[in-house]
Amino acid sequence: MSQLDILLVLLRVAFGAFVPLCFIAALVWLERRGAGFFQDRAGPNRCNIFGFRAAGLVQNLADAVKLIFKEDVIPGHSPHKFYFVLAPLIVFVCALVSFAVVPFADTLVIEGKRYLMQGIPMDLGILWFLAITGFAVYGIILAGWSSHNKYGILGGLRASAQVISYEIPMGLALVSLLAVYGTVNLNDMVHFQGRLLFGFIPMWGVVLQPLGAIIFIVAAFAETNRTPFDLAEGESEIVAGFHVEYSSMKFALFFMGEYVAMFVSSSLIITLFFGGYQIPWLATETLVANARLLAALLVFIVPLAAGIFCKWIRKNNKSHYDRPKDPRVFEANVYIGLIWMMVIILEAVLVAYWLYAAGGAADRILVVLLQIATFLVKTFMMCFVYVWVRWTLPRFRYDQLQKLGWKMLLPLALLNIFITSAVVVALS
Amino acid sequence: MGASIKIMERKGSSLLEKVFLFEIFKGMWVTLGHFWSNFCDNSRLYVRHYPEVKPEITPRWRGRHRLTTHEDGSVKCVACFMCQTNCPAHCIMIEAGERMDGKSEKVPVRFDIDLLECIYCGYCVEACPMDAIRMDTGIFSVTSYDRESVYMRIDELLATKGAFDEEEYKKGGA
Repeated sequence: MSQLDILLVLLRVAFGAFVPLCFIAALVWLERRGAGFFQDRAGPNRCNIFGFRAAGLVQNLADAVKLIFKEDVIPGHSPHKFYFVLAPLIVFVCALVSFAVVPFADTLVIEGKRYLMQGIPMDLGILWFLAITGFAVYGIILAGWSSHNKYGILGGLRASAQVISYEIPMGLALVSLLAVYGTVNLNDMVHFQGRLLFGFIPMWGVVLQPLGAIIFIVAAFAETNRTPFDLAEGESEIVAGFHVEYSSMKFALFFMGEYVAMFVSSSLIITLFFGGYQIPWLATETLVANARLLAALLVFIVPLAAGIFCKWIRKNNKSHYDRPKDPRVFEANVYIGLIWMMVIILEAVLVAYWLYAAGGAADRILVVLLQIATFLVKTFMMCFVYVWVRWTLPRFRYDQLQKLGWKMLLPLALLNIFITSAVVVALS
Repeated sequence: MGASIKIMERKGSSLLEKVFLFEIFKGMWVTLGHFWSNFCDNSRLYVRHYPEVKPEITPRWRGRHRLTTHEDGSVKCVACFMCQTNCPAHCIMIEAGERMDGKSEKVPVRFDIDLLECIYCGYCVEACPMDAIRMDTGIFSVTSYDRESVYMRIDELLATKGAFDEEEYKKGGA
């Protein structure tokens, strides 16, 4: 292994491990501020460090400090203390590891060597995801059971019934998808989606498989235990369901596990149905061929976007009541200064690329970075859909959930397989 | 006058509604509208920035108690024990003494209200024949780090002033 190999392995593993962890903070923030805005209130915006509130992101720090310093209770009456400690670990680790196969950029080619841009370079793809997320539910069931608590047991039972009724439509929706793509490798799937249908529509999974996309997204919501299918938690019925006995960092692991699972399933939905890291209409080879043009475009687009963003900050980051020498205006000025500093650095990098490095490996790296950005933006938007659905829909009742899973999604998924395979056979 | 009956239309039975999906998108469109308008301009949020911006208190609001005085500054209360007897939370403790200034026979030497017990029902105000106790101070936030400071004694109750003028208070229905 050359030094470049080792560096790239480290970078990829770091990306696979730390990006989901960073997204926890972003998603908790998105959830709480988003919930506020959906309900016409402000959400947590008071926490600050020397008056800097970072739009409420500092609240995450306060929450983390609180959770770390809380008493870590293990129920004394429970005969299954080992499993009690094991359960949150399973939930969190499974959520984190399942991201390992999602490609976040196209294969990087440097000096004729190909580097798969995913946490663990292997061809299992979607099968790995199914296996690992299927295992994550054991954490929830185990937590409910080992809590030795009636609400915990009820939550665990609900989770197990839910996973039986939702893994099947999810798997079947994937079967028809695999018939279309003809591969289980996620990177190949994204390549497939880079092509154009009739010459102008991007051949995304959602265009080829609209029914499959709906079934998979519904099942993914159930898989991550998010509203409207969060009845394993069901705080209005069974207190907190499976994590009712958990406190401190053990609860935090469940909590973080939920958000990591949300990030991972968003990224998978993106990869399967919304073109993954692909920028619509621009395949990787086109991008690499026109890298200089791309850099020139970025030089103009980045300040424009930063300008709009700063205008938005200026408008919204001020006090809505009389205040002498409004500190929030000062805060906004600092943020805007920081943003323009970052823009200047970025511009300098782009100009340096244009002058010295254009052509060869730098083009490929530029394209990979752009694709990573696209992937993250798309995933963030899908996560927003998760939050959006959570604050729109009420929770399904237990029997309604079962009915939806077995009587509607399962037949629809089977129908989808028949239609898809007929079309695939007819076309080939 | 007979009760008017309004028969509500029962929704959710048409095929489009049974499929859920279309209705879900309609609901999501509504919530997105709220999000987007608040996101673009957060002065549209329906929130009061509470500790800095105080709510408006009307004269009818039952706030913290006070004892009223005659114009010369002497206590109106005649220690008749009506409020103490009427109090459902048993939070008023009165001890009567002899009154020397000739306005009445008795005067409270002790008049304590335990605000931690009080349920702010206003029965004491209604029961008082002398209009001696009122809840018109406009103080709505009774918080403290110790129990002792929310145990009101007669001098504190007398020292607190009403937040509204006499005319407005009377309009409030007292």
